[in-house]
Amino acid sequence: MRVLAHARGSITKTVIQKGQNQFNPIIIGFLCTWCSYAGADQAGVSRREYPPNILPIRVMCSGRISPHHILKAFQMGADGVLVAGCHLGECHYIRGNYMTAKRIPVVKELLSFMGLSPQRLGLTWVSASEGDRFAAVVREFTEQIRELGPSPLRGVS
Amino acid sequence: MNYRTVLTTCVYCGCGCGLYLEVLDDELVGTLPCKTHPINEGGLCIKGWSAHEFVTSEKRLRRPLVKKDGHFVEVDWGEAMGRAAAGLGKIKEERGPQSLALLSSAKCTNEENFLLMKFARGVLGTNNIDHCARLCHASTVAGLAQAFGSGAMTNSTPEIEEADCILVTGSNTTEAHPLIASRILRAKEKGAKLIVVDPRGIQLSSYADIHVRQRLGTDVAWINGVMNIIISEGWHDKDFIERRTEGFEELEKKVKEHTPERAEQITGISQVDLRRIAETYAKAERASIIYAMGITQHTTGTDNVLSLCNLALLTGNVGKRGSGVNPLRGQNNVQGACDMGCLPNLLSGYQSIASDELRGKFEVEWGVKLPKEPGLTVVEMMEAAAGGRIKGMFILGENPLLSDPDINHVREALQRLDLLVVLDIFLTETAELADVVLPGVSFAEKDGTFTATDRRVQRVRKAIEPLGEARPDWQIICELAQAMGGEGFQYKSPEEVFGEIARLTPIYAGITYPRIEERGVQWPCRSEEDPGTEFMHEKEFSRGLGKFTAVDFREPAELADEDYPLMLTTGRSAFQFHTGSLSRKSPSLRRELDEAYLEMNPLDAGELGVPEGEAVKVSSREG
Amino acid sequence: MEALRAKVAQLLKEKAISGFLGLKLEHGHPSPFLFTGEEGLDLLVVSDTRFPLTKLLQRLTSKYPEEKFGVMVRGCDERSLIELHKDNQVNLEHLVTVGVACSQELAQRCGCKVPYPSQFEVGEPATGVEGGGELESIEGMAEDERFNFWMEQFGKCIKCYGCRNSCPLCYCSECTLEDSFLVPPGETPPKAPIFHLIRAFHTVGRCIDCGLCEEACPVGIPLRTIYKKLGQVVSELFGYSPGKEVEGRSPLSFLGEKPFKEQG
Ligand code: SF4
Ligand code: SF4
Ligand code: SF4
Ligand code: FES
Repeated sequence: MRVLAHARGSITKTVIQKGQNQFNPIIIGFLCTWCSYAGADQAGVSRREYPPNILPIRVMCSGRISPHHILKAFQMGADGVLVAGCHLGECHYIRGNYMTAKRIPVVKELLSFMGLSPQRLGLTWVSASEGDRFAAVVREFTEQIRELGPSPLRGVS
Repeated sequence: MNYRTVLTTCVYCGCGCGLYLEVLDDELVGTLPCKTHPINEGGLCIKGWSAHEFVTSEKRLRRPLVKKDGHFVEVDWGEAMGRAAAGLGKIKEERGPQSLALLSSAKCTNEENFLLMKFARGVLGTNNIDHCARLCHASTVAGLAQAFGSGAMTNSTPEIEEADCILVTGSNTTEAHPLIASRILRAKEKGAKLIVVDPRGIQLSSYADIHVRQRLGTDVAWINGVMNIIISEGWHDKDFIERRTEGFEELEKKVKEHTPERAEQITGISQVDLRRIAETYAKAERASIIYAMGITQHTTGTDNVLSLCNLALLTGNVGKRGSGVNPLRGQNNVQGACDMGCLPNLLSGYQSIASDELRGKFEVEWGVKLPKEPGLTVVEMMEAAAGGRIKGMFILGENPLLSDPDINHVREALQRLDLLVVLDIFLTETAELADVVLPGVSFAEKDGTFTATDRRVQRVRKAIEPLGEARPDWQIICELAQAMGGEGFQYKSPEEVFGEIARLTPIYAGITYPRIEERGVQWPCRSEEDPGTEFMHEKEFSRGLGKFTAVDFREPAELADEDYPLMLTTGRSAFQFHTGSLSRKSPSLRRELDEAYLEMNPLDAGELGVPEGEAVKVSSREG
Repeated sequence: MEALRAKVAQLLKEKAISGFLGLKLEHGHPSPFLFTGEEGLDLLVVSDTRFPLTKLLQRLTSKYPEEKFGVMVRGCDERSLIELHKDNQVNLEHLVTVGVACSQELAQRCGCKVPYPSQFEVGEPATGVEGGGELESIEGMAEDERFNFWMEQFGKCIKCYGCRNSCPLCYCSECTLEDSFLVPPGETPPKAPIFHLIRAFHTVGRCIDCGLCEEACPVGIPLRTIYKKLGQVVSELFGYSPGKEVEGRSPLSFLGEKPFKEQG
């Protein structure tokens, strides 16, 4: 929960900072500390460029990301949410990411039924050494969200 | 091991939802909605769902209290009753009955209200009896009675669904009367047009076809403006006006002066919107007006109510299904407390105390002489107490300290009394000031009846035994009356009291416990054969003809000015109730909302530099 | 009805159960009641009025874990008991169910696929109702239309918690809907869609599609449609149908290595 409290602060800040002219999506990235967060670091160290639209939130394991967090992010006006964890079979907590793999498709279906494009929710597996791949995934996901346009939940609350 | 569910009526608002109290091993453990109840049909609001929670609160009074040297001490019933009876008796003896006053309770049963009324008039000999409806709906009773001859909701809750047009004004229905709001939404889904006139954006306004915000306190002006348009367009129901009303010419004359331009100027509602309201309302086959305290809690409350009545009469929207003028009464039994004659000038069933014939009927039944002069209203009582003219008061389950407009004034007034006796289930702010506090019981521990806002008389049933040494309020009143030498207070049960109510009160005459066993009956119900009245004034108004009253717009008594630049209005929350004496004892409700709050226009807030969630200090000319 | 009464009388007499949770007709309305002896059994009824009996049962079984209880079950009640048993909320071994097959009318009203329990003492099995009610028409909407539809529906919510309070599978002592970070307290309507989506997600792999939630909703939000949709998703992805059989576990209730249904 603390994680999300932090996210709230950052989202609000970004909403205010972002200009209105070009659509700059707000994307929340829930990143597993053991792999994708490290991957993001890697990307940074090796100066791989990726769009600054993603607000990374570090979690101990992708299995710790409850759908509540994802829903809260959307409720607060996020245009996209990217969940990233270790490759299947490589989770530090053995099976944490299998739970993620089960949950995310269900959440996508739920969003879709609510009239929110399921493409706003991304799931990817990245290892600590795949800095390049991380940057590419983020670039692609950001483009995808840019195309979808602002979330209809923006400005709802 | 035992588990049962007891059918009863919700104790919070005036909707009158049917609910079951769940009792496991003689303890209250939960609430369930009655699936087959005519009002709520299986739904409840959050207050209903948690209606059992406050009952067993730690804070419940379990023993009588008497103040000694400024502190409460627990005493036995004998001592507390003795002190109350002797104290009241002494004041009556030395200062005369007019130095006593009583406040009855819109939370208590009809039987209890009736008994308190009987005690006041028959035993103490005073007409100084009133209750909190004075502050909310006295203008409703006065206004509707003047126009139609009866001061209650003309139609019934289930019928709202049948309306083609619903005009909601001064009622935040989803918060204050959730299970009536659900009918409004259902009507809307069936195609009814919804008009909301409210200075605030409320939940219903997002479903409204027309939502306008009037400047606070300008209700008469917009209604006159709307009527002006209706008459000049010829949308009024001439036949209805001809056959069933009087006073149209004067109204027409007055309304002519209130051109749409003028209405726009005063109210801030555009002429275009006024026109849309006029057309939508007037052209509907069945149009229903729903209002609450946003209309009545004004210095011009009666004028506002009369104006709404004018509007309904003008378009023939009274006396048929799904129409009418429908005040939503706040407390679960505020309708009943009025019906039972807990009013300074009226006996039960709105029978005038001044009428020798009507009063005589009660005198014969009770075998005593009753005072003829109307008594004091709650506001006058407080004045009189402050001025030293009222010396002793008996307050039944009310908390005037918080509910009355001016807290300091009330506190001083109550402190000046020689004797204050409070019968309540909690040590409320008012009870703290008392000399004697008698522990009554909640709705779960007694039998009786409540009358819902749509005149529906329904049963309240005992689910558990009284907590500690607390006793049912009706018994306490009877014991006190007897201790003071009152005759005719030996009732075996509330049902017996109800029999007496029916005998003395024509609008309740045909109602008996067996008849309301399953579904309740709506008054007027004049005989055993009378099925009760779903909607009133069908063939004839209670007063014969419906009466138009030409009303002029007056500015509210207090306006915003430089010293006090903002206008403040009151609101309701679905999660708390009244002064919170019940709902703040309920964990589920406290979790939702534990403090009172104030909403501000973001522009005003910006100007004053008040951020969201900030504590603000509010001051007015009254304190 | 007589068959039911006789059966219950026998169970009580043989002391096979210490009490029977059923419906009692009193004051003209049927309501839940625990019958503990033969007297009063003449008021035991079967009616088309539904209460979450298996939810109320949990109160009894948690207070008296060693006692055996009897309970009247319809198809949906039985499905809820199966799911509750898997979640360790009731113990089927301590329960004696007495089945009731629903009338065709009730089955229609509920839109119920299997309107009878596995065994029943009362009634004739009615034909199950196929189709998802409003589900198809909502799915048929365009995305933004669907979004607006739901936001309008959720905007009616008066936050009574009736949907949760009526759900036999909502047994948590701490409810996420009351988490003040996720759903700010004291607001009507509650923040939408999150309030409703949290509840929806909590029904995943548990909802047995009884519709009691929707029945309790005073403002008529088609809640069950959402849960129905998720039920279909769970069935397609994981091959799991809550309440169907005592074996197997709900896919989201455990950490497993096989995320999806075996293909083929
Ligand atoms: S709507 Fe009123 S009567 Fe009904 S449950 Fe809520 S508070 Fe009680
Ligand atoms: S249909 Fe509603 S009440 Fe029934 S199990 Fe599903 S969520 Fe619970
Ligand atoms: S039952 Fe309906 S109104 Fe009540 S909380 Fe649930 S969705 Fe909202
Ligand atoms: S540790 Fe990375 S997903 Fe579990």
